[in-house]
This record gives sequence, C-alpha cells and structure tokens, in this order.
Amino acid sequence: MPSPSEPVTLTMWHVYGSQTVSPLNTVIDTFNHTLGTEYGITVNVVSVTSSSAIDKALAASANGEPGADAMPDLFTAYPRVAEIIGPENLLSWNEYFTPDELAVFHEDFLSEGYFGGELLMLPVAKSSETFFLNKTLFDRFSADTGITAAALATFDGVFSAARAYWDWSGGQNFLQINDFYHYAYVGMKAHGSEFIRGGRLRLEEEAFRSIWRPLAETAIYGGLCFEEGYAASRWKTAEVIANTGSTADVLYQPEEVIYPDNTTEAIEAIAFPYPAFREDAPGVIYRGGGLFALKSEDRRRNQAAYIFAKWLTGKEANLEFVTNAGYLPVTEEAMADLFADYAAIEKDNYRSVYAAVETMLDTYTFYSLPLYEGASEIQHDFEANVKTVLKAAHHQYAKRVSEGEDPRAVLDALVEESLAALKSLSGT
Amino acid sequence: MKAFLKPDLPGILRQIRTEGISIRRRFVAYIISAIALVMSLILLLLNLFGVMNPTGTRILDSLETQLISYADHIKRDYDKAAAHALSFSDQLETELQHFLTERNLTFDDLKNHAEALAALQKELYDVVYLNMQLAPSSGAFYILDTTVNSRSEVPLFNGIYLKYINLYSENTVNNEITLYRGSFSTAKEGNITFHSGWNNEMRTDFFDACDAVFTGHTHYILSPDVEIPDTWERARYVYVPIRDQKDHIIGVCGFEINDIYFQLSKKACDDRLGPLVGALLEEKQERYDGQFNSNRYSQTATDGVWITRKGRGTVFDFGTERCIGKTRDVTLGNSTFTAALMIPEAQFDAIVREGQLKTTGIILAVVLFMFAYCLFMSRKYVAPILLKIEQIKYSDHAGEPLRIREFDDLLAFMEEKASVHAEQLKTLEASKIAAEEEAARAREAYEKALEEYALAKNELLHLSENKHEIVLEDYEYFVCNLGTLTPQEMRIYDLYVEGKTTAEIAAIIGIKENTMKYHNKNIYAKLGVSSRKQFLRFAALKQYQDKKGAE
Repeated sequence: MPSPSEPVTLTMWHVYGSQTVSPLNTVIDTFNHTLGTEYGITVNVVSVTSSSAIDKALAASANGEPGADAMPDLFTAYPRVAEIIGPENLLSWNEYFTPDELAVFHEDFLSEGYFGGELLMLPVAKSSETFFLNKTLFDRFSADTGITAAALATFDGVFSAARAYWDWSGGQNFLQINDFYHYAYVGMKAHGSEFIRGGRLRLEEEAFRSIWRPLAETAIYGGLCFEEGYAASRWKTAEVIANTGSTADVLYQPEEVIYPDNTTEAIEAIAFPYPAFREDAPGVIYRGGGLFALKSEDRRRNQAAYIFAKWLTGKEANLEFVTNAGYLPVTEEAMADLFADYAAIEKDNYRSVYAAVETMLDTYTFYSLPLYEGASEIQHDFEANVKTVLKAAHHQYAKRVSEGEDPRAVLDALVEESLAALKSLSGT
Repeated sequence: MKAFLKPDLPGILRQIRTEGISIRRRFVAYIISAIALVMSLILLLLNLFGVMNPTGTRILDSLETQLISYADHIKRDYDKAAAHALSFSDQLETELQHFLTERNLTFDDLKNHAEALAALQKELYDVVYLNMQLAPSSGAFYILDTTVNSRSEVPLFNGIYLKYINLYSENTVNNEITLYRGSFSTAKEGNITFHSGWNNEMRTDFFDACDAVFTGHTHYILSPDVEIPDTWERARYVYVPIRDQKDHIIGVCGFEINDIYFQLSKKACDDRLGPLVGALLEEKQERYDGQFNSNRYSQTATDGVWITRKGRGTVFDFGTERCIGKTRDVTLGNSTFTAALMIPEAQFDAIVREGQLKTTGIILAVVLFMFAYCLFMSRKYVAPILLKIEQIKYSDHAGEPLRIREFDDLLAFMEEKASVHAEQLKTLEASKIAAEEEAARAREAYEKALEEYALAKNELLHLSENKHEIVLEDYEYFVCNLGTLTPQEMRIYDLYVEGKTTAEIAAIIGIKENTMKYHNKNIYAKLGVSSRKQFLRFAALKQYQDKKGAE
C-alpha cells in the first residue's frame, strides 16, 4: 500500500480541459492535497490534450519512437486505445474494485470498458452530444429571417437554417458538425439501419443516402463548415454560430466574439438536444472514454491508481469534476443527484447543457459506439474523407455556378458525385 | 528493586579487590572491550573519511551533489533559450526593417494600421515558427509597441504568440501549434488553430509582473513565473529587446517556458530517493514562488513556499505540507534565482527512521555477536580451563591435554612437581612406618623394663622390709666370697638368680641331681649361707645393688 514514507507519483495525460481551464486538474489538486497526501500519492498531470493527440502520443510511446516520452501511468482515452497499447499492458480495474464498488456505476458506462472480462477502461465522466447555439448572433439572424430556434430540433431544420444563414451573412458558415461519424451512426439508427455492420461502414445502404443528401446539400451550397479544428475557436471569431458536439464543448465556449479590429461582443450560448433525424425516433450517443492505467510490476503503483480512480469516481469528487466540465457523472447516485439539482449550477450555459441532456434522457434513445477491429482508423478516415469530398464539392459548386450552370442541377449532381467519391475513398 | 537499580559499586570494587575477578568474567570483559574498541575505531575512521554519515546528512549530501548539476542544467537551458532569443531578435529586426523599407513606412505608421500589421505578421510568422522549433521552449512570441486599435479601452500590443498545443514530452518536434496572440488572418494563413484563450493582441500589462529594464549589461531577462492570461498555465519568459535602427527598444521577443515544459525538461531522480522535487524559485514578499517539476508543488496548487534553514538542510513549507532539501543560487539574465531539490518531509523522516533502525539493528547485531562470541569463546576456551581446574581439584591427574600450550606446560610442570612430592611422601611414609615400629619396640622394652623395675622395686621393698633380718656380716661374707665360686658354681649361681629351679638348672647344665646337690653344698659353704632361702635372699640383694650401682 502506498504511504507518505514511500511516496508514489503517477503521471497522467487527460482530455478533460482546455488551454483555458482544466476542471480535472483542479480536482486532482484537491486529491493530491487530501487523500493523496494521506497515502503519499501524487498525480502529476503532464498533458491536457485531445483524445486524438493522446492516441498518437500513446502509440509513439508504445512503439518506442525516438523522441517519444515514457507512457504515462494514467491516461484518459477511448476504448480503441487498448488495441494500440495491448490489453496485457493495462491494469484490470476489476482486480482492485470489488463487485460492490463496481455495482454503483452506470451499467452502460461500465460495460464499454470491458475487454474480454477485464475492466480496462474505468468510466470517470461521460458526455452526450448536444446542439450549441450562439444565441446572440442567431437572434439577429432570426429577427431578419423569421427562422426560430424551434426549427433547430431536427437536422432538416438545422440544415435549412444553415443555408439561410449563408445567404443572410454573405457567405458565413452557420454550423460545424463535430463528428460526421456520429452523425452517420445516429442517422442510420433513426432510419432503422446500421452504419456499421461486420466491422465495415455501410455507405451503400439507402439509409446512408438519406442522411447524406441534406448534409451534402448544405455543405456544397454553403453554411456548413467542413474545415479541421474546433468549433469553439470558430465561435470566437464568429466563423460559425452553431455546432453539434460533446456536452463538454461548453467548457471551451468563449464568452465573447473578437473581431479583427480588436472590438469584442459578449455572447450568450445555449444548448439544445441533439437534432433529431426523425422526430418520432430521436437518438444520440454517449461519448467519452475512460480512465486507463498502465499495469505496473510494482503493486503499490497499481494500488495508488486504484485509490485515485475510486476517489475520482466517488460522488462528491465526480460531481465537482463533471459539472465544471460539462460531463455526466458515472454512478447512478451521482447522476440522480445532478439532475435533481442542476438548477443550482452557477453558469447559464452549463445549466442549459444539463437541461438539454435531461430532455434527451427522457425522450431519446442513447447509443454507445461499437468497438471493432480497426475502428479508430476507420473513424478517422471517414471524417477526413467526408471533409475532403465536401470541400472539393463546395469549390466545384461555386466554380460551376459562377460559370453559369444551374445551381439546383449542379447541387444535385455534386451530392451524388460526392457520395460516390466518399464510397470510393472508403473502399465500398 | 532499588538495590538492583542502584548497584553497590564500591562494594563490588571492594569484592573485586579482595576476591579478584573470575577468569570467565575477566575474559568476557576483555573480549567486549576489544570488540567495542575495534568497532569504535572503525566508526571513527568511517566518519572521518565521510564514508558513514547519519542518514539525514547523507540525503542532504546527495541532494546537494545533484543540485549542482541540476542548477547547471537549468542555467544551460535558459542560456540556450536566451541565445536563441538574441538570434530571434536579430532576425525580427532585419525582417521588420525590410518590411518597413519595402512599404516606405515608419514604425509609427503601423499604429492603427490593421492591414499593415496583419501583413507584417504574415512576414514574421515563419521567423517566430522556426525559432520556436529550435529553442527549448513551450512557446515563442514577439510583441511590438503598436496596436491595431489605439482607442481600445485596454492598452494592447501587437504581435504573434505561438504555443504548442499538447505538451507531453520535452521533445516538441511533433507537437501542433496554436495561435495564442495574433491576428485572425495569421491563423488562417498559417492554418493553425486558435488557442482557447486567443486574442488579437496582448495586453500591455502582461509584462508588468516581469517588467525589467534592459541595460547595456543585460543580455536577456528571465521573468518570474507568472500566470498566462486566459489560461490555467503559468510560465517564465526569456526575452530580449527588439530595437529599431536608432537603437530604441520597440518591442520584445523571446520564448515561453511554461510550468509543464519545466516539469518535462527538468525532471530529477535519485536512484535511492526516487523522483526528486526540483524547482527554480524567486523570492517574493518573504515567500518563494516559481516553477516546480511536479504540479503538486507548483504555485497553482499552493500559495508560494516559506523557505527556512534547518541544520544543513532547508525546509520548504507549502502550508499543507513540507519538504526537506537544498538550495543553490543561480544567476539567470539580470536576476538571481534559487534552484532547489527536495523530497517530501514524510519521505525524508521515513528514510531517516529507516537509517536509525538500521543503525540500531547493527548495534544490536554487534552486541548479539559480542554476546554470542563471548559465549562461544567462554565455552570453547574458558570452560575447558575451568573444567580442568575442577578436575585438578578433585582428581589425581589432569586427564586429556587442553591443547593450550602454556596451560598444558603448566599442568605438566605441576604434575611433575606432584610426582616428586608423591615420591617424597612415599619415602616419608616408609620412614614414618619404620619409626613407628621402632617406637613400638622401644615402648615394649620400656614397658618391660618398667615391669622389671617394678618387680625389682618390689623385691627391693621386700628386701628392705627384711633388711633387719639379714646379718650384714654374713652378707658381706657372701659378697666377698662370690669370687671363690668355680665357673660351674658361678653358672649355677646365675641360674638361681634368674629364678630357675634346681631341677631346671640341672637340666640346663646337664648334671645329675646328686651332682647338683654337691655343687649346692660347695656354693653354700663358700658363701657362708646355711639355706637356700638365705642364699636366694643374698643373691637378690646383690643383684639389686649391682643394678643400682650400674644406674
């Protein structure tokens, strides 16, 4: 057992925070100065970054690439990382957590972390997806166009508003979809189909065509951002005024827009439930990875990781952490407590997020992404391919329309061409 | 109990003086003294040559040694960053001058000229980017004393400030870059993302915390550890001035070394103590702030640290916990900083306790060894001697040799002596027996003489009693005529004196009774006696007188 006389320092990479603020770091500081001090455990956060950066860095460390740092003792990541590192190198949490201790977790969250009977990924915070809107700028647009926020309940309404915003703003994007893979997964489910079957993407399905068309039409016409980068950055310069994304995006939302002449404008951000593909079958995914620990031959280090993980997933620390980061707690009790009292949350935009999640918990179907061989790479490639074909199609559209072609005909043609190109790039 | 606790030392000493000390006690005392002396000597020499120190001192010595190279490592890194900053400044000055000349502008013309400033950032972006890649840093910046909007409520400086997005290693080669300060177009042109705390320009009060004057002797300035605005990070800045052609300072450029980069690049570890807490600190209102290589101890987690000296070490008091370590002054830029290496006090105390336990264990082991050795030596060496002494006490011979040469020689000598003594004793015993036999014979003769004496005395008494019946003249006649007796008659006379009877005498001499009678008649006649009774009375008197005369 770790003790102050033989202290243990655990390095950690995590995704819970931005360059501006990291609620998990604050909670970890509390741990270090309370229970950590009692047991002589220090959790040393070395990197706060994105999950893809962590994947990349972990792969570099695991492969011993020159210049790569040693693997951290603790890291948060998606289940796909187990494949990169090798399950045998990861700590089985169920060796340390008792069945009673695990029973308090939300069953769906916990089940994601099992790999062949070993609980390698411990849920510490989960999120879902919501629709974020810069209400300040949208209100201005709404006042001029009559399009209200109520129209944003479905993707059809959202895309329609995006195209209208493109016209109204003189060529500004309205929306950034954080994750096209998620869009396709939930969309196909709404149409009674499966986006992934047998470890491959079902782009040839009719259901996929159904969800591709409105997306592609908007991207090709204008109003939908398909560039790399975070939506929150674009909010800051008003490049977009809406996005779908993790509830945790609230952490990154700016409080003001900065214009090139250094003038600023305070903004109000609100969250809505994830737009539905069909109003009668709304769905959304649970997002978020979990906590992994590198298995150590020194049992004290494993115990230190367990002590920290147990503390972090305890109701008090977990609620403190998740409510400052826009996430959902991982135990049933903490979840019930959160939704019994989220009105007490100080920040308006955070309250708005939890209100949207509460609505979804009541009426939506929640899905977890399936884990299959090569999932990480397939997901990454799909994202990149969608952006590539839509970007090319958008430029084609502008060019061909400027050359006098019929916009509608060009649009229809490019929607089909982009789909064909996507299938081609995806190898289907 | 009281007597046990307070032994009667004078009594013991007195007893020792009078009774001496047993060989066993003396032997144990000598062995313990010898081992203790050798151990003390070894400890003294180990201490003298610094091989053996108390654990706490050893930890501090180890930290001090490591701190020398740690401080040197820090100085080298910051100096290296400063060297890059000077080169960075030269490149910026050249590019800036080129930009202004090409557009026929002065530096003052840039103020409120958004387009020109955006164009300037476009020109200088590569310089910033390349220098950031080269220098050991977490970010790079240049800031000029100009702005796109001088009417802004908050005074601002224009420039570019790039940061690495994801620092997870000291090696920054593969890290993506984000724009923390710089124009919107710079991000677009560079195809880089905005930092979460992005802004167009830098507040002029940003460098208030590290405001310093560049003098002719100042090559570079290393700022205190300050909060990076709109982020959760803290950093130091290595910066140098940017000058115009008239040598006026028109801005600064340099590198950011944030706390995470410090953590990643300034790790310290001891093979025995494990990871060490390293820091580069500066004094601030009696406390110390600065960068730590563990975020547990960084200022974001605590509120500065009190540093006090304690013995050979330094105590770092963080409020909620304390560390023990060493400090060393390091001059960086125009300021003196404090480099420090430390370990948590709980760990320090535990190691010291462990050392004390080990020392106690060693002492106990030595004591036990001494005890066991004494026991062993006592059994092996003293016990046989004592046994031998017992054997000698209660037995004629010493038995088997002890195989201790001196003692065996002594025993042989003693045995030889004993043998001589035994022989002498034997002779004396024989002499004694002979003497005793002689004495018995003498005693017997003496007793016989006494008896004869008593008899004679009795006879004498008897004679004395009858003396008045003896006629003196007859007796004198008797005595005077004894010489007239023939030898045969004299022999018969003597036999009568001896108490023999007539028949016995006749038998002894071998004569007949008649012959005997004849001799008797002649003897009586010659001696003038008339009867045997008178004859025997005169003969006894004569014998008594002869004996008395002989005495």
